[in-house]
Amino acid sequence: MAEDNLCIELKQVGKTVDTPDGKLDILANISLDVKYQEAVVIKGASGSGKTTLLGLMAGLDQASSGDVTLFGQNLFGKNEEQRSAMRAGKVGFVFQSFHLVQGASAVQNVMLPLELSGVGDALQLAQTSLQQVGLEHKSDTLVEHLSGGEQQRVAIARAYAIRPKLLFADEPTGNLDATTGRQIADLLFHLRDQSGTTLVLVTHEAELLERGDRQILIESGGLLS
Amino acid sequence: MQVKRATIHSYWLMLIATVITVGIVTSSQLITHRIELLLERQASELLAADMVILSSSEFSAEYREQARLHGLQISESVSLRSAIFLDGSPRLVELKAVDKAYPLRGKLERAGEMTGTRTVTNEIPLPGEVWVDTKLAQLVGGNLSLGEKDFDTRWLLTYEPDRGGAIFNLAPRVLMNLDDLPATGLVIPGSRVRHSMMFAGEAADVTRFKIWLTINLKPGEEIQDLENARPEMRQALERTRKFFALAIVLTLVIAMAAIAITARYTASREASKVAMLRAFGISQSSLFKYYLRQLGMLWLAATIIGVLLGWVTQFPLQWALDGWFGKTLPQVDGLGPYLTAALVGLLALAGFSLPYLLNATTTPPMQVLRAAMNRRSWRRGLLISGSAIVAIFLVLVMLMQSSVLAVATLALVLVCALILPLILGWMVKLLLLSSRRRFWLRQYLLSRLQATSRGAIYVMSGFSLVLIAILLIAVVKDELIGEWEIQLPQNIPNYFLINIRGEDIREIEKFLRQRQIEASTPYALVRARMSQINSVDVDKIGFSDPRASHSVTHTFNITYADELPDQNQIVDGKWLNEAGSGAEVSVEQGLAQQLDLKLGDELTMTVGSQILQVEVSSIRSVVWENFKPNFYLIANADLLESYPQTWLLSARIREQHKADLKQLMKRYPAVTLLDISELMARVRSIVDRASVALQFFFLFALASAVIVLLAAIQTGKQEREIESSLLRALGAGTRQLYRVHVLEYTLMGALIGFFSACFASLAGWVISVYFFNIEFHLSPTVWIYSLISASLVLTLAGTFVSRRVYNISPMKILRS
Repeated sequence: MAEDNLCIELKQVGKTVDTPDGKLDILANISLDVKYQEAVVIKGASGSGKTTLLGLMAGLDQASSGDVTLFGQNLFGKNEEQRSAMRAGKVGFVFQSFHLVQGASAVQNVMLPLELSGVGDALQLAQTSLQQVGLEHKSDTLVEHLSGGEQQRVAIARAYAIRPKLLFADEPTGNLDATTGRQIADLLFHLRDQSGTTLVLVTHEAELLERGDRQILIESGGLLS
Repeated sequence: MQVKRATIHSYWLMLIATVITVGIVTSSQLITHRIELLLERQASELLAADMVILSSSEFSAEYREQARLHGLQISESVSLRSAIFLDGSPRLVELKAVDKAYPLRGKLERAGEMTGTRTVTNEIPLPGEVWVDTKLAQLVGGNLSLGEKDFDTRWLLTYEPDRGGAIFNLAPRVLMNLDDLPATGLVIPGSRVRHSMMFAGEAADVTRFKIWLTINLKPGEEIQDLENARPEMRQALERTRKFFALAIVLTLVIAMAAIAITARYTASREASKVAMLRAFGISQSSLFKYYLRQLGMLWLAATIIGVLLGWVTQFPLQWALDGWFGKTLPQVDGLGPYLTAALVGLLALAGFSLPYLLNATTTPPMQVLRAAMNRRSWRRGLLISGSAIVAIFLVLVMLMQSSVLAVATLALVLVCALILPLILGWMVKLLLLSSRRRFWLRQYLLSRLQATSRGAIYVMSGFSLVLIAILLIAVVKDELIGEWEIQLPQNIPNYFLINIRGEDIREIEKFLRQRQIEASTPYALVRARMSQINSVDVDKIGFSDPRASHSVTHTFNITYADELPDQNQIVDGKWLNEAGSGAEVSVEQGLAQQLDLKLGDELTMTVGSQILQVEVSSIRSVVWENFKPNFYLIANADLLESYPQTWLLSARIREQHKADLKQLMKRYPAVTLLDISELMARVRSIVDRASVALQFFFLFALASAVIVLLAAIQTGKQEREIESSLLRALGAGTRQLYRVHVLEYTLMGALIGFFSACFASLAGWVISVYFFNIEFHLSPTVWIYSLISASLVLTLAGTFVSRRVYNISPMKILRS
């Protein structure tokens, strides 16, 4: 029985994939908890399995072994459709490559998850969210015409617009220069502090590690701390 | 090795598109040329030869020798009128004596008795034997005296290819062997006989001989070929030929659009690889050489497969058409068609894909680090468009030999290709502006279409071009056939009643009316020759049109009328002065062009021994294929009423009224009844057969369309997968993903369908009116077909091909 204040709970979770050379364990025996409103930073080298771990925690992927509990519900046996419904309106994402809808404006990108989860006044909420990231003046600009830093701001606005209980950020500063990366990290944590959203951030940058409430180091598919 | 495999994989659509292009050219060169030869030969059958010279005296032996030197077949015949006794009364017959080679084109058909089976024969009457017209059926099995010789009447002559040649001068036919003619003693010095010398052979040989003949023709001799003998046939052939040319050009345009789209797709796939190779220091020229080699190999493979495909596909078509035509298609010799196909394949491939690949080789190495670096400059855009235009132009000029239709088609294609992306882009932008309060789902879909990274607008433009071409073939075909249907309604006349005396015409009209037989307005015929134009003798005028000198030697059947005949249209000037005061004439458009006639020109005509002077007051278009009485010259009634004349009318005589005909013939023995249903059926069959052959080219067009469709769906497939993965991560359900894709394809299809219908209707109008001279009718079915087919095909194919997208793992978004 999962504890009420746990947002995510992983018990003995493993992930194995088939490769031409046989089975490969990407993650093995991972157990960890993430409390509501906690900011957890996962750090690891390239190929350590941190993105796989994030995918399992968000229900984007299924574990090969063990139990993953999200918002008190065990993800075991839930299909893609059910897991997707669990995320809708509750989980936000910020990706390394921004992943905005090309051909759409900044505000339209922010409106997307709101409308997908059936929120009424998506436009109003999206504009408020853009205001929070300092891009209200570019709300009608097509995202492909924005700089990298601005695109990531739109992605953050999109993630926070739905007032998520949980936000996953996968290398959010990985595609940006140091100064812009710092600004984006500031913004991400500032909004998280304001909203009290649970944050799970994956990075390989030492600077970001210190900004979380808790740090988790991952190496060769296992947790070090 | 891995790289090579990947390259081949990305090139396969391009290869298929090039194979189809080469296949189309090979097949069209082999088949359409053969069909054209056959169609011409079919038409030639109405002359029983490819060319005929007519004279009232015997021909010089030199003609025969020259014709032989030109490699032509020759046949001679002599026609004259003679009287026979039928039921104790004299009856005028049209006697024709033919040699063994007759007819050079077409076949004779005979029957043992009136109700007997008609059989096609290669024979002519044996010496001592005659075959007689169905109007002389009672003579079969008996004897017939012609001059000083008696003949056995063994067969009824039921069909004679060149029977309709002298349409208004036919008495019942009696066919005999030329060797028997001297024995009849009918031909004596001063007899009114018509000598015909017929020629047949390869088109080029006939043309060469015609040039020689035109120079050496003696006074009183007249050349007849398809150009001047049968206006209705000429018009039908001309339209069919143009239609074929149009269909082939459009099919080629589709195939070339397929090459262009697949080349674009290939180049976009190659870009990241090129960027990487350039980052490693591989020079642009090395890369360009590498791609040139790849293209060379692709062209070689496509040529071999395409030529084989074209060669093989001619057989099923030939098999189908042989059955349809009832004879074997003439052979096309030489390597010409194959070499042309290979060259067209090379031009199309180079013109459409080289600029794209050149563009790919100039991909900046920075793209390895930043994908956004790959933005095309306007110079590259210009290079791509310019190269495509040059390729299309060269291909069209090569295949169409710089015909106006080819240049016009090119212009049409260019306009479509340049305007379509702009219009589609504006349309999407306009729709995007319409509502900004909601993004999901409509605005989201439109954004996807607008995103330049996906190239959706270009793919849609390419697909539209393909659909426009397919619709155009269908539209013009329907218009052509529709026009024929209008011209040949159910109550079309099947008989001409000619040689009617003036005093009998009202009685004959009454006779027909009483029996409810539908008949045309009767027209008087006054036979006249043109002697001068603007007071200059016609034989001293240097006409620019070579047919003119033959036309002026014709005896014209001038009629007079108060009202403009049905399906005639004044194109210049005014219809004859209704007051009837002036000496005016209305001239048929084709004749006016031949003789360089314009309004106000004065024509001097000889009617018998009298001279008649008339002024050209109008130029008139005539629908020759309608089989109604049609005239080159129509004058005022007041002017011609007093001249010697006979009358004619056309009538629709149904089977149940055939018995009444006998009564009519008995009552008015001078009247000649001419059955034109056979001639009509033959002319009509030309368009029918042409349209059957065209269905075949539709297969090629559809195959190219499938390639374009596949390329369209493949383009942006990766983006689509990533977007679906993103939507999944953001909480979208399968149903929402499904709706996105179905609606995206439906929206694309609807836009493509809408614009294709617009452009096809517009282009259909231009082509129908300006190139086929037929009235254009805006067809709602084109809109329905276009919208439904584009939406349905794109939605079904797109949904099927993209089915993986609905189950895409959201993990892809993290891994991408």
